[in-house]
Order: sequence, then C-alpha cells, then structure tokens
Amino acid sequence: MTLHSETYDVIVIGGGHAGTEAALAAARTGASTLLLTQSIETLGQMSCNPAIGGIGKSHLVREIDALGGAMALATDAAGIQFRTLNASKGPAVRATRAQADRTLYRKAIRHMLEAQENLAIFQQSVVDIEIRKGRVEGVLTAVGLEFSAPAVVLTTGTFLGGRIHIGLSNHAGGRAGDPASNALAERLRALPFAVDRLKTGTPPRIAGDTVDFDRLKPQWGDEPCPVMSFMSDGSEHPRQVPCHIAATNAETHRIIRDGLDRSPMFAGEIEGVGPRYCPSIEDKVVRFADRASHQVFVEPEGLDTNELYPNGISTSLPFEVQFALVRSMEGFERARITRPGYAIEYDFFDPRGLEPSLETKAVSGLYFAGQINGTTGYEEAAAQGLLAGLNAARKVAGSAPWTPGRHEAYLGVLVDDLVTLGTNEPYRMFSSRAEYRLRLRQDNADLRLTPVARELGLVDASRWRRFEAKRATIERAAAALKATRLTPGSDLCARLEARCGETVAKETNLFDFLKRPGVTAADLRAAGAVAADIPAVALEQVEVQAKYDGYIRRQDREIAKLKAQEAVMLPAELDYESIEGLSNELKEKLSLAKPRTLARASRIPGITPAALSLLLIHAKRLTGERGKAVRPEDRAPAREAAPAGERAARRSA
Amino acid sequence: MSTVDTDTIAAVATAPGRGGVGIVRVSGPLTPKIANALTGRKLPPRSAVYCGFRDGEGAALDRGIAIHFEAPNSLTGEDVLELQAHGGPVVLDMLLGRVLSLGARRADPGEFTQRAFVNGKLDLAQAEAVLDLVNSATRQAARGAVRSLSGEFSKHVHAIAHEVLELRVFCEGAIDFPDEDIDFLSESDVGERLASARKRLSKLRARARQGALLKDGLNVVIAGAPNVGKSSLLNRLSGEDRAIVTSVPGTTRDTLDADFDLDGMPVRVVDTAGLRDTGDAVETEGINRAHRAMAAADVVLWVVDDREAGGSPGGDACTGAATIIVRNKADLSGRRPGSISPGAVRICALTGEGVDALATEIKQAAGYRAGEGIFTARARHLDALAAADTALAAAAERLVANYGELVAEDLRDAHDHLGAIVGRVSADDLLGEIFASFCIGK
Ligand SMILES: Cc1cc2nc3c(=O)[nH]c(=O)nc-3n(C[C@H](O)[C@H](O)[C@H](O)COP(=O)(O)OP(=O)(O)OC[C@H]3O[C@@H](n4cnc5c(N)ncnc54)[C@H](O)[C@@H]3O)c2cc1C
Ligand SMILES: Nc1nc2c(ncn2[C@@H]2O[C@H](COP(=O)(O)OP(=O)(O)OP(=O)(O)O)[C@@H](O)[C@H]2O)c(=O)[nH]1
Ligand SMILES: [Mg+2]
Repeated sequence: MTLHSETYDVIVIGGGHAGTEAALAAARTGASTLLLTQSIETLGQMSCNPAIGGIGKSHLVREIDALGGAMALATDAAGIQFRTLNASKGPAVRATRAQADRTLYRKAIRHMLEAQENLAIFQQSVVDIEIRKGRVEGVLTAVGLEFSAPAVVLTTGTFLGGRIHIGLSNHAGGRAGDPASNALAERLRALPFAVDRLKTGTPPRIAGDTVDFDRLKPQWGDEPCPVMSFMSDGSEHPRQVPCHIAATNAETHRIIRDGLDRSPMFAGEIEGVGPRYCPSIEDKVVRFADRASHQVFVEPEGLDTNELYPNGISTSLPFEVQFALVRSMEGFERARITRPGYAIEYDFFDPRGLEPSLETKAVSGLYFAGQINGTTGYEEAAAQGLLAGLNAARKVAGSAPWTPGRHEAYLGVLVDDLVTLGTNEPYRMFSSRAEYRLRLRQDNADLRLTPVARELGLVDASRWRRFEAKRATIERAAAALKATRLTPGSDLCARLEARCGETVAKETNLFDFLKRPGVTAADLRAAGAVAADIPAVALEQVEVQAKYDGYIRRQDREIAKLKAQEAVMLPAELDYESIEGLSNELKEKLSLAKPRTLARASRIPGITPAALSLLLIHAKRLTGERGKAVRPEDRAPAREAAPAGERAARRSA
Repeated sequence: MSTVDTDTIAAVATAPGRGGVGIVRVSGPLTPKIANALTGRKLPPRSAVYCGFRDGEGAALDRGIAIHFEAPNSLTGEDVLELQAHGGPVVLDMLLGRVLSLGARRADPGEFTQRAFVNGKLDLAQAEAVLDLVNSATRQAARGAVRSLSGEFSKHVHAIAHEVLELRVFCEGAIDFPDEDIDFLSESDVGERLASARKRLSKLRARARQGALLKDGLNVVIAGAPNVGKSSLLNRLSGEDRAIVTSVPGTTRDTLDADFDLDGMPVRVVDTAGLRDTGDAVETEGINRAHRAMAAADVVLWVVDDREAGGSPGGDACTGAATIIVRNKADLSGRRPGSISPGAVRICALTGEGVDALATEIKQAAGYRAGEGIFTARARHLDALAAADTALAAAAERLVANYGELVAEDLRDAHDHLGAIVGRVSADDLLGEIFASFCIGK
C-alpha cells in the first residue's frame, strides 16, 4: 500500500557530485526535479581527497561551468589553495587545481541547491526503481514513499554493494560513515545490466597538531590566485593556506613490506580492479621496489579543522601497519591518526550499456551518471551528472538528447570513451585521452560551450551577457591584429624586430607575426602595436589562437572526417557475428559495444579501414534505401525546451 | 552527401603498361582545385579537354586529355577528374605524385567503388558484388602488405615506432603528471632520442626508396607435373637461357628465379621442380620447395601438357593465389595457341606462340583493378614513412622552441602514420605504458 506519492519530471537519486549537478541542470532547464539522497548533510560531500581540478580534470570543471553548473563556483567559494599546473607549458595543457575546505564546499553546493527554482530535495534512501514495459516510472524509498517520474537519474557512487576493507577485516559501507545501498544494488543486479566490481582507496587522516610542520616543505598557492569559474574574480576565495610536502623512506617501505601478508589486495580478498594511476602505497612499494622514497602531499582538510589528508599513502593495510608507516615519516614521529585509511569495493555498470545521452539502453527514461559508470573523481562524476540531468529533462520535454563531440569537450571524450570502449579500471580523465586537446583548453571552455548551453536553457541571462561581452572583445582584438599591417622598414616593424629578435622579410600582419615562436602578445603590447583598450584576456586568447593556428587547422581536417563518419548510423539490428571478413575478436567487441555510428566503431581497438568498409556496406544494405543512411541531423529536432514556467506548472503533488 | 571520408583520393586507374593510354583518377572535394593547378585552366564539366599537365614549377609533365565530372554526376558521386596520359609507368607515377602533392591521398583498395556505393551510384543488388570486391581487395592488400612488410622492413618500422612511443611516454607523462617528482624531459633527453629516431627513419626511407627492402613486382610461380615444359616457359618469359631443359622428367630440382619486365610491371618468375611422388631425397626436397614457392605466389602458372586431359591443380597444389592454367606443347596437340577462357591459355613454349595471351592473363590475375591492386600497399607504406618523417621534423623544431604540447602533438601524428603500417596504439595503451614506466599517482 502506498503511503504517499508525488510526481515530478525528473528524479535524481544520490546527492554526490553527479547527483547535485544532475538535479541542478534538470531544474535549470525548467523540469520539475526531485533530488533524493540518503542524507542532506552529505550533499556535495567529497568522499576522498579535498581537492578539485588538476590536469584534464579542471578542463571538465571549466566545461561544467560553461554549461552553467555548480562545481567551479563552489570551488571558488571553498578553495583554500589554488595552483596553475603546467604554467610553463602551453595554454592547452595548463590546468587549475584547488585545495578545498570540505565544509565550505558542502555549504556552497547546498546553498546553490536550495536556491535553485524547480528543485525539491528530500532525504530518503531509495530501495527500488519502478519499471514497467521497459520504461522507468518512479522510485520507492526505504520507508515506502513513492515518487513518480518519466525520467530517473541514478548517481549512487560507491554505495552499491559497497564493501570497506581495512586489513583482512571488511564490512558493508558506502564510504566511511555512510551505509551501503544493498537493497537497491540487489534490485539493479536483477535488471539487464552488466555489473562488475571496482575498487578504490583512501589514506588515513592525521591530526595536524601532532605533525612537525617545520620539518616539511611548505607549498603555497600561486599569486595572483587563479579562479575556476568564468563568473569569479578571486574575491570569492576564503583565506589561503599552504600544503606541505613530506616523503616516505626506507623504514616506511620496510614496514609496508612486512605488513603485506595482511593486505586485502595482496591476500586476494578484493576482487575489484583498482586504478593504475592511483595506486595504494603498498602497490607503489611493491611495483617500484627501486624507489627509495615516494612524495606525500600533506593537504589541509579545511580552515577550521586541523585534520590533514596525506595524499600519496592511500592504503588498506591493517590499522597497526598504517599507524607505524605514518610515524616512520619525517615530521610525523608523533602523528596521531584520526581516521583509518581503507579500500572500498563497489558495483559498477558496464557503460557500454549506455547511450551517449547516458540513458540506459535497457530501460527507457533511466539515466546513469558518476562513479556507477566506472569512472572515478568528482569532476568526472559532476560532468556526467550535468549531462544526464540535462538529457533526462530534455527527454521529458520531448527534445532530442545533446552530447558534445570529442572535438568539442573533454565531456565528449569522457562519454565517448565510456560508451564505446567501456572500462576495466576506474576511469580518470587525462589530457592525453583528448586527441583534440589543443582546441579543448580550459581558457576557451566558455567559448566552446556557453553558446550551446544558452540554447539548451542551461545558462542564465547574467552569465550570457558577460560571455557575449568577452566574446566581442576577443573578436575585436583578433580583427585588430589581423588588420594591422607590418611593413618591413616601418617604425612599428623596427620596434618589434628589435624587441623579439625577429626579422620581417615581407609584409605581414600582426596576427601572423604572433604565430612565430619567439613572439608573445606581451611583446606586441610593449612595442605599442595594440590599442590600449584591448583587454589582456582578449589579447591572450588571440595569442593562443595564433600559436596553435596551423595545428588547429590540421585537426579541423581530421574532425571533418570524424563528422562524416558520425553521420553514418549503424542500425541496432546489425548482426556483427554474421559479417564475413571480421575477426572473431572484433565481432565480439562490436557486439558488446553496438556502436551507434561509424565514427564510434572506428575507435574500437583493432578495427581496420577494411573492417569499417564492411560495416558501412552492411549498414547500408540494412537501411535499405539506396545510398541513404539515417543521419543524426535528421533525427535531432530543434533544441528549444518548453518555457520554464509552463513546465514547472505541470508539477503536481 | 554522406561519405565516410572527406579526403580526396587518387590512383592510377589502368593496368601499368607501356602501350596505350594510362589513366589517373581523382575523386573528392579537392578535385576542382587540383584540376585547376594541373591544367592551368578551369575545365568545363564533362568535356574532354586536350591540354598540358604541369608540375609544381609550371613545366609540362605530359600532354593528354582531362575530363572533369562534377558531383553528383560521376562514377563515385563526388567531383571526379580523369587524366588520360600517353606516358608509360614513370610518367603516370609522376602525374600521380603531382596529384598527391596537391592534397589528394592514395586510394585504399576498393575505395573508388566503395564511394560509388555510399553515394548511391550502385544499386542495392550490386551490394553483394561490392562486398566481394572489398573482401578481395582487402585480401589482396593484406597480401601486398605482408609482402612488403616481411622481415627487415617491418622490423625497422617497429623499432622506430617503439622509439616514438617512448618519446611520447616522456612527453605525455610530463604533461599529464607535472606534480610527480619525476623530471620526464631531462631524464630521457628527448632531443637526443628524437634525433636518433629521425636518423633511423631517414635511413629506412632511403633504403626503401632504392627498393632494397621492399620487393615490389609480381611473384609468379611456374608449377606442374614433371616434363610439361615449365623450365622452357621460364626461359621463354625471361628471354634468357636461364634453366636447364632436357627431355628427362625431373630435370629441375631446386627452385630458380628470373626477373623480367612485363609491359613495365616488374615480375619475378620462379621455376620449380615437377610435382610427383618420388623416393629420391633430393627431388623430394625440391618438391617441398616448390610447394613453399606456390604458397608465397601472387600468381601460379599451372602448366599441363595439352595432349592430356584435365587441367586444374588439385590437392596440395591448390593455393590461395590466382591460378592460370597453361596448356603447353600446342605444336604437338595440334590445337591453336592463344586464350582459351579467362584463366586458361594454350601456348607453345618452344616457339613462343600464345605467350602474349599468357602475358595478358598474368596482368589480369595480378589484380590490377583500377589502381586498387596489391602494389598500392607498398606505395602507401612509403607515403606513411614520409608523413612520419615530416611530423618528426616538426617535433624537433617545436622542441627547440620549447613548445611541449606541440611536440607531443607532432609525435602523436608521427606515431599514427607509423601505426598505419604496423598497428596503432590507443590513448589508453599509451597511458598504460606511462604507468608501467613510472611510479605515478597519489
Ligand atoms: C574510499 C574512496 C576513495 C576514493 N579515492 C579517490 C581517488 O583517489 N581519486 C579520485 O579521483 N576519486 C576518488 N574517489 C572517488 C570520488 O569520491 C568519486 O569519484 C565521486 O565522489 C563520485 O561521485 P558520485 O556523485 O558518482 O558519487 P558519490 O559522491 O559517492 O555520491 C553518491 C551519493 O549517492 C547517495 N546514495 C547512495 N545510495 C543511495 C540511495 N539508495 N538512495 C539515495 N541516495 C543514495 C549517497 O548518499 C551520496 O550522496 C574515492 C571514493 C572513495 C569512497
Ligand atoms: N614440342 C614441344 N616440346 C616442348 C615444349 N615445351 C617443352 N618441350 C620439351 O619438353 C621437355 C621438358 O621440358 P622442360 O622445360 O625441361 O620441362 P619441365 O617441366 O621443366 O620438366 P622437369 O624440370 O623435369 O619437371 C624438353 O625436351 C622440352 O624441349 C613445347 O611447347 N613443344
Ligand atoms: Mg624443369
């Protein structure tokens, strides 16, 4: 018997990084949205490392920001140390990383959730998802409350079948201090999804007043202090504090080796696969036995706590070994552990079972986002959440789904990798995964995505106005540089030649001159070649465009090819097993992935041009009509969403 | 228009040969631009224009007929340019080279036909035929690739690809893991490694160009029962008195080869021991060698005595290669030498009658189908090496200017080109390599 029931457009399950962005995005586009989570206190909780950003990751954060999301704004409000990574390298690979105060971060996220129109938050654990005839209809909570919606986004992170390991003892848990979601996990295992196990780990936390900081190297943030969001100017930042750098030593490694027999990983207690790039300290000591020392970043957990996060010694060794290994490090001789480190194993779903919209192929209206798709990291989760929330709302509104391409966003790379290739370890973003990374910079995330975000209804008027102004100044700056001629022998030319140590043999313009490796925008400014009213940000943007010009044009040609292949749809009923000429291995991979387009098929490892030709021809035979394949453009109707007010009005209680 | 590829492709569309007219065919969006640059004029659509073909400096390569078919009214449904030239294979090669330098790329096997299909120029009933074509073209291309990839050449390409992979491990590692206490760049000395890879690559290219490593040319193997006239045919084809001919069955013991030029197409012809059951150890070894030669053949000439019935090779003698039945000793059977049916000819090795018809059959069997034959594999490999070389040169230049991310981009490009020959490496494989080489992660 139902005790109570309510109806929404979109229900989001889980209030982590994926869930909060999903709920916000759906509500922003006007869908009446319900966020259901185990605990309102843990909305926006960082389960592990108190940091946001990093290479590849801050790219995602800027993209979330460009799409009107919360993560960048929350980081600016909570960040207590900001650094620009790869500052000495080119703009495409520069990234921002922020240490965040956990409490401030949660507060910022909660504040944005509470301020969001069309969004209701309710604290309840979900135990079942109601599905009828292959369509999702709603959810059921632990105390028997029923909520209906035609679209549901599941973002339960590490909680499904979560099992926490410390040494050889283990227990059920979603993360330290939170219960696992076992009823829901059971229920989902019964549905037609491919479920597997992954694992990740976290280090012990340490009481700051027991650490001798004088013997550690401090690491301050950068000056001027970077910001994450396009809307921020740095005044949002709280007080800034340093991190410290410590190191393991021979004694630490001996302690670890002696404890290996009680490691759940090495004893075979854990079946899930952990990430290669985020190894536990025991892993590092075993695999790189020749290293005498490993670096440990000692990060503050927040401004009004002295708890520390020792980044680099994630471990699931027994507590007594953790205790000894921490105390073996210089400066930690008296250190007290406040919470033990642990490893956690959890269920994830093979993301090849998803559409690029993150809707499950098996259940219409059901979307998956975040860690449950095999990823790791707050940024990866948040980016997926935003996309899933958006697409869930679009589905309800009867609009076509939207997913950026690999050439448009890291988010596009992330989703394409997941749905095409799947993953067998927790997937983390790296810049080397993005073949078009010269275009996908954090400095142009807004230029790449905010215009489409505006069309999708994700961006409010104030951001849009500010964006348009920025774009106009950049265009003006580029036009000015292109229009300024540089004639050999002229005064300006002589000044620039002297300043940059270059020679100008034949007439050129400032934009082309700026392409030269030895020339910077600052040089142009100093030589008085640019008008004073061209702002620095605009000039920088034009400089990047000039420096990468040739490479970007080459990539444009690759992208044109990619688009042509994307236009060829592979029918779902294509029977790969029956295609003569494909290797058995390829048949298997293709049958699993069921790529939607020829472009996706082209990224399956081991595929050859000849195999692609075969797919193309078989697809064309199936689609029947001579020389006419269905193209995504034909399917995708207008991007307009229904007016927000009207849709909100449909919400019923 | 929905093609899979937006490249402009080009190929020699006729079987190579000195006689007659050779055709170079171009298809794709760059076609009008290429036509313009090559002929120095704007060609009216669908009309044959007699004109000069110019090289990059404006000098004449050849004179001939150019026809521009505008999309979609062409063979492939794209803009197509057909160049009919008089010159032999060398001129055709230069003409193709010029077209490639104007932005086209060499067509893959079956690619023109495939584009025609994709653009609705072939009806559905023809789909089966297209599938067969793609299948067989890729089989042939694979054979071609295996042939030119054999042994030393592939070893060298692999070695260079590996050097580039290591370079990428350092460069990508430095970009993706700046916070690690590993100095990727100086530890590895990227500059030196890059120079070494470039040196190896240019050496390989030079040798490949001289033909030292890539044997091209058709591998034709003569086989059959003893005494049917195999050695006589070898001598006849090569125009030399190369093999011993006697009336004793079992004369030829070891395999023996000779090179000759078939209307401009280089051919290596191999004579083998006559196949039969024998107790003789030397002859048995010769027969084993004959079987091995047949397995490696592009074309097998199966020689039979015209006075006897039957024809096709059976059992062990069956190979995947194209087979031509050669009925020899027409003078003794009294039947007229010449073509019998596709894949079968009658000749007289003694007088040379019918050998012309055999030559035509060999060319057919070599799979020259509109420039989609086996020899394009070799040319594509050379193109790929050249492109990799260019990319490495760019990387070296960017390294000097200290643009790490652009060095990485050029290395990726170079690696992709080498990967086109020996297999590509995915981003995930590259990351795996980084994690295996360095202790990364917190
Ligand atoms: C021990 C540990 C170590 C980690 N180590 C790293 C690391 O080293 N590097 C890294 O990048 N990332 C690490 N992470 C991963 C990072 O925390 C996650 O990637 C990120 O938080 C995933 O976000 P999410 O939104 O998918 O899930 P989560 O942040 O886990 O959020 C899940 C949400 O769902 C709610 N929920 C669960 N079940 C239900 C239910 N039945 N009904 C309602 N609500 C429910 C939970 O309360 C929670 O709010 C680690 C995580 C853990 C737990
Ligand atoms: N009349 C006639 N005799 C031929 C012809 N071709 C070959 N012969 C003769 O047939 C005999 C065998 O010729 P070979 O060329 O040695 O035959 P083979 O197939 O190489 O023989 P083995 O090496 O023994 O397997 C020789 O005496 C040749 O002169 C032909 O076309 N007409
Ligand atoms: Mg002989």
